[in-house]
Amino acid sequence: MSSPLTRPSATPERPRRLLILLGGALIAATYLFLVVVQPAEIAGGMGSVASLVSLVGFLGGGALLVAGILPMLSTSSLVVMPLGIALNIAIGQVAGSLGMQIYLDAIGTVLVAVLAGPAAGAATGALSNAIWGLFNPFALPFAAGAALIGLLAGLAAKYGAFRHVYLAPVAGLVVGAIGGLVAAPVAVFMFGAAGTFGTNAIIAVFRSMGDKLLVAATKQGLLSDSLDKIVVFVLVALIVYALPRRAVLQFPFARTHRVLGQRTDVAGMGTKDGTTTGTTTAGAARGNRTGA
Amino acid sequence: MPRRRIYNPLTELLAAALLVVLVLVVNRWEFSLAVLVLVVVPAVLLSGRPRQIGLAIVLVAGPLLVSSLLLHGLFYPEGREVLLDLGVARVTAEGLAFAAGMGLRMGVFTGVLLSTAMTLDIPDLLATMTHRGWNRKLVFIVGSAVGLIPHVSLRARRISRAQQARGLVVGRGPVSRFRALLTVTTPLVIGLLVDASERTRMLEARGFSSSAPRTSYLPDTDSRGQRLARRAMVAAVGLVSVIRLAAAMAA
Amino acid sequence: MIRLESAHFAYDDGEPFLTGVSLAVGPGEYVVVAGASGSGKTTLARLLAGQTGGDAGSVFRGAITLDGDTVTFDGVPSDPRIDPAAWSERVAYVAQGAWGQLSMMSATVAEEIAFGPANRGVPAADLRRLVDDVAAALGLKDLLHRDPRRLSGGQLQRTVIAAAVVQRPRLLILDEPFQGLDEEAARDVVAALEELRAHGTGVVVCEPLLPPTDPPGARVLALADGHAVFEGPLAEARRAGLGRYGLGIAGDPPRLGRGAGPAPVDPSAPELVMVEGLGFRHTQDAGASGDAAVLSGVDLSVRAGEIVAVRGANGSGKSTLLQHLNGLYRADTGRVTVDGVPVLGQPTGMLATAAGYLFQDTDQQLFERTVLREVSYGPRAAGLGRDDAVRRAADALDRVGLGALQEAHPYELGFVQRRLVAVASIIATGPAVWALDEPTAGLDEPTRSMLAGLLARHAREGGAVVLATHDAAFADALAHRTVWLEAGRISPRGAATGG
Repeated sequence: MSSPLTRPSATPERPRRLLILLGGALIAATYLFLVVVQPAEIAGGMGSVASLVSLVGFLGGGALLVAGILPMLSTSSLVVMPLGIALNIAIGQVAGSLGMQIYLDAIGTVLVAVLAGPAAGAATGALSNAIWGLFNPFALPFAAGAALIGLLAGLAAKYGAFRHVYLAPVAGLVVGAIGGLVAAPVAVFMFGAAGTFGTNAIIAVFRSMGDKLLVAATKQGLLSDSLDKIVVFVLVALIVYALPRRAVLQFPFARTHRVLGQRTDVAGMGTKDGTTTGTTTAGAARGNRTGA
Repeated sequence: MPRRRIYNPLTELLAAALLVVLVLVVNRWEFSLAVLVLVVVPAVLLSGRPRQIGLAIVLVAGPLLVSSLLLHGLFYPEGREVLLDLGVARVTAEGLAFAAGMGLRMGVFTGVLLSTAMTLDIPDLLATMTHRGWNRKLVFIVGSAVGLIPHVSLRARRISRAQQARGLVVGRGPVSRFRALLTVTTPLVIGLLVDASERTRMLEARGFSSSAPRTSYLPDTDSRGQRLARRAMVAAVGLVSVIRLAAAMAA
Repeated sequence: MIRLESAHFAYDDGEPFLTGVSLAVGPGEYVVVAGASGSGKTTLARLLAGQTGGDAGSVFRGAITLDGDTVTFDGVPSDPRIDPAAWSERVAYVAQGAWGQLSMMSATVAEEIAFGPANRGVPAADLRRLVDDVAAALGLKDLLHRDPRRLSGGQLQRTVIAAAVVQRPRLLILDEPFQGLDEEAARDVVAALEELRAHGTGVVVCEPLLPPTDPPGARVLALADGHAVFEGPLAEARRAGLGRYGLGIAGDPPRLGRGAGPAPVDPSAPELVMVEGLGFRHTQDAGASGDAAVLSGVDLSVRAGEIVAVRGANGSGKSTLLQHLNGLYRADTGRVTVDGVPVLGQPTGMLATAAGYLFQDTDQQLFERTVLREVSYGPRAAGLGRDDAVRRAADALDRVGLGALQEAHPYELGFVQRRLVAVASIIATGPAVWALDEPTAGLDEPTRSMLAGLLARHAREGGAVVLATHDAAFADALAHRTVWLEAGRISPRGAATGG
């Protein structure tokens, strides 16, 4: 049917693979450069080369990644990304007001990754830190690390880490450890590992045992980021389990990869029972509120 | 009132970013100090809201500077010149110098970016991005995220109030706080996702997927001169960086 | 202009409905699609808007004809897909809940209205003309520079309508556009719709109740349980006895069974609510609702068995007064005592057993993943064991008629059922004082009458009810007396002015 009111079945744009590869390669090369080539420099000076490389390499890599990912995003992924970014920033404040001791600044990123997939997760992470940089410039250089968190969380979701609640902390531990490894050199070369009093106290312990700053910061990153991501992953798992089935199924990624496993299926059975016993009310659910 | 804008926000943002790069490239405390005194301080004073911006800079950078001073001032195993031996901790000249250098750098970094960001006219920035033909998805994500942040925290506070009305009392233990966070976040996310699914349809209906170049209701505050200036600034800082990097590598 | 013929529609594998329903709308017509909760009116509105749900697992069989173009659906995956951008140029749709319709990226109302045409690449000069024209038609001229996220309900609704109709569509479909608006805001929206009609736009409005006033030439399509039960002029619809389909007329009093009404108050009954010399001024806390009222010198006493209505314009301080009863706000001056407990420094959560609060926006209150868990949260927080809490929750759900939906997810229920879940959670917690903020807004007739019965029963059983409401008929039928607020003070205005 060739009516002007209809359209052929949707063909999403292909991702710009070259840009994504370049961005990934740039981030990896930057990291290798910092860790392998320059570890000694920090002891002698403040490492202008290293800090410049980490700023340009990580930010440029993140920008290339975002540029490569954006064209392939569907409108439904696109719409949740600002939401994830706003959650990252706003929950940080709520957590603060409730007196939590961890940052929880990746909840939105992980949530988007679980619902909309690794690409959307990575872009959310990178853009989140870029936008956060407007309020808190110290977030800016960690954009590549945040993108990595989003990417890994999405992959973890794809391969079933959110199908059972006990798998989420394991995935959080692994992703957090990798994230900590990547964030450490940025913190060291950009800011001399300055952080909160809590994280700096941990670094101080390692430093007092004679560790180099990069080593101490890496160990601290492994510790605190893992803890933070364990909490974040469990929290996101519990949130998505509590979502109405329809809210999850509106995302093609969550649907095709059965990200929540049987939970969505089982929940569906429950709703159906409700439907058969009370047609009127269940119809109301469908009729009156945003459906899919 | 924010100051009267002279340049396009994109130009200002780029200038701030390049200034940060320049501080890293030059990497001398004299230069950092000069930028702090000659650029950041006047910019804050002339911003029209020096109190808020000054306070924000202190709040963001202050704790980092203090904890950095404690960390490097007390624990710097590479330090040779010991000023004070406290047993576990040693105050060294090298440690203090490192903390001071890093602190100055962080101060410049925060001052330059925050004084730019806090006077930034976001709608104007988005309009410029649109007029320059940036990817409309990127413009939407940035604009929508910035617009959502206050809405999300407002909604979170309202939900938290409503739940207290239902009998929620937040205890002091970590488990109780985790539960409280979960209880607030779950309806927050559900509500936002419900809005989002409606917004997805709205975007489709408003022709967001159209392939025609997007236009903007706001006038273009950019100019040809500024576009040229931006390219020139990037080229200049790039050149300086490459020369410095090459010199450092050779050394 | 548009003609919808629905053979049937089904969500996922649910039961088919909208069987054999058809609707045609011509230029300048005004059609009210009326139906109680669950009648299928939102689905019908979505179909007209071209949202046939093919990509969301729904099945639609039927045809939609728009300006001579017919699109036919057989309920199979190879069905045509409607291009939402092309469709919306001719058929604009304003869904329920205005927040989801804002792009959130516009700092001004003008930009928000221009969002659609800007996406299609309309040049800047034309954008300004389009925005100015539509703003003039909808009375938004003075609001063009305001932040769309900080508008009142009526202003926001008109902004969203303006953004939808800026392309001058032939047809405008609105799903419950008056929900939560006070009379004045609703009048502004009606005026805006009439202006569009005068220029030939057909208007379809979904409503839970039949409108009391008569938009000239309005036609009604009444739905019940997914079937059309009436089609004809509005005046006829109001005489057609649609009450048996749960379809009431806005402004009618709730229907209370014999002996189900409120009993007289025993003047010696204990005072459950005591407010003396209450003064309050909002601090910077933006968590407060947009209702930025201050209170001064407010006295209120409510005895056991008494129902008191609090009325007054938006912003007169009704919500603020109510939220003092459960400690969400603390008095700057004066005293508040609820069920014998002075509201002092204790956490708000501790007062939940003394005063139950129903928020205007119910969705902020719900957070569990099944209805049963949701309703048993209150009693458990009050210290009851799991089994007792579940038993009380199940009883409360039976009382509001949701017994069959214990395991459903609260957010998969309709708006009306979610309101009832919130009411059930108050019943289950068992506070003596109920504070209800606009409890009838958006309800259909059966639910509104049921709520009236629940309030009357609570009072007869020795409880006290304070409700803030714009619903005059509801207040008159139920409340023993009405307190009027004006700019944060009790005003001496009698029932005569309010009616």
